[in-house]
Amino acid sequence: MPTVTVDLAEVRRVVDRVPDPELPPVTIGMLGMVHHLEVTGDGVVVELLPTFSGCPATEMIERDVVDAVEALDGVGTVQVRFRFDPPWTPDRIDDVGRERLREFGIAPPGGPIAGAPRPEGRRALPLALPQPSRPCPYCGSLDTVRDSAFGPTPCRDLRFCSACQQPFEAFKTA
Amino acid sequence: MSEIATAATASLEGSPRSQVLLAIADDALVTGHRASHWTGVAPSIEEDLAFSTIAQDGVNHADIWYEVLMGDNHAADTRAAVDALGLGRRPTGYRHAVVCERPPRDFAFTLARHWAYEHFDALRLDALARSSEPDIAAVATKLRHELRYHLEHADHWFARLAAGGDDAAERLRGALASVLPEALGLFEPAPDEDRAVGDGVMPTGHPGLMAPWLETVAPALEDAGFADLVPVEADMPPDDAAGGRSGRHTNDFVEDVWPEMTALYRAHPGARW
Repeated sequence: MPTVTVDLAEVRRVVDRVPDPELPPVTIGMLGMVHHLEVTGDGVVVELLPTFSGCPATEMIERDVVDAVEALDGVGTVQVRFRFDPPWTPDRIDDVGRERLREFGIAPPGGPIAGAPRPEGRRALPLALPQPSRPCPYCGSLDTVRDSAFGPTPCRDLRFCSACQQPFEAFKTA
Repeated sequence: MSEIATAATASLEGSPRSQVLLAIADDALVTGHRASHWTGVAPSIEEDLAFSTIAQDGVNHADIWYEVLMGDNHAADTRAAVDALGLGRRPTGYRHAVVCERPPRDFAFTLARHWAYEHFDALRLDALARSSEPDIAAVATKLRHELRYHLEHADHWFARLAAGGDDAAERLRGALASVLPEALGLFEPAPDEDRAVGDGVMPTGHPGLMAPWLETVAPALEDAGFADLVPVEADMPPDDAAGGRSGRHTNDFVEDVWPEMTALYRAHPGARW
């Protein structure tokens, strides 16, 4: 029987590309949800970090990851585990993800803040509640206020831009 | 109760560790269920979203704690086992405090309970973050971080109503007068809790959380002109709000929350949604 070796880099590529079901332009790779991948023989283990523990999209993400990895050559079983250690933090969102969120009308957390570079080149962001205003994703103004700590999903809150009179959402700082 | 539920939970529910985790999970489940009553009927769209999110958080936090409780001791189907634990018990098997099962009544009562409960829950998660079990500590750390939003929301409304006109402040006062004595039931220990505390599973037990909770809520009550409502540590909850952690519940749970919460599960054991 021919043995096909599972290519870890290929696994990473397809897992990183799985979209967030609630924010389809953004992938779980861009959000920094992919923690660890392991290949043993034909078995693949994918460890993911949920953004918010109560996120109902996690079950869909799990299914999509399994489907994506199972389609690869040589893969037998795929196991997806969600873990809380280390906790997901918004500084894990990469620059492409931040820009895609903004294009989608959702203000990304943090901003161009100078700080210690992360091992993967991302900036560390403060974990405190977002006191500074977020730039409006439509006009870029900083003249914005947070209307509500709770939005349409556990990971988003509600804001308003006084400059362009536009309500918008912001990604929370879980 | 279904056969599945009996089999899945009978062997797990006995240990002190399980009893403590059931108390934590059941508080979250029932609080979340009650919060969901505001979905669609809250006084503003922001509050509709707030309580819907708080409900979602509560039910999901419960879900996570049930999974932690089971550890590796469950069948391959984790989802079915968690559902069995969360929804497959008789009312006397639930370990939440009675104050959690009270109906939302009006918005003042909801906010008063929300404020009292979230501050208690934050302190409990702080304690659990120091658990000797790494899984428990990791989950508590994550959930504690999310709770910042609940606390901010609860404190905001507390301050706003307390400083509001006579009607707002009086309604909040009435709600707190009813909630705070019953909230003392949150500090009852789960069965054999001393052993779980001794093992470091829950480094500070429920009774030990009362002093830090009073240190948090008393100054806020005094500043708001409600000094006469500050509970005393030696106080006990009224008799009909006591015993929740031992499975003694009122008709608010037995005839209202429990039948509603478990209706689908009982009608279709093993159903997936």
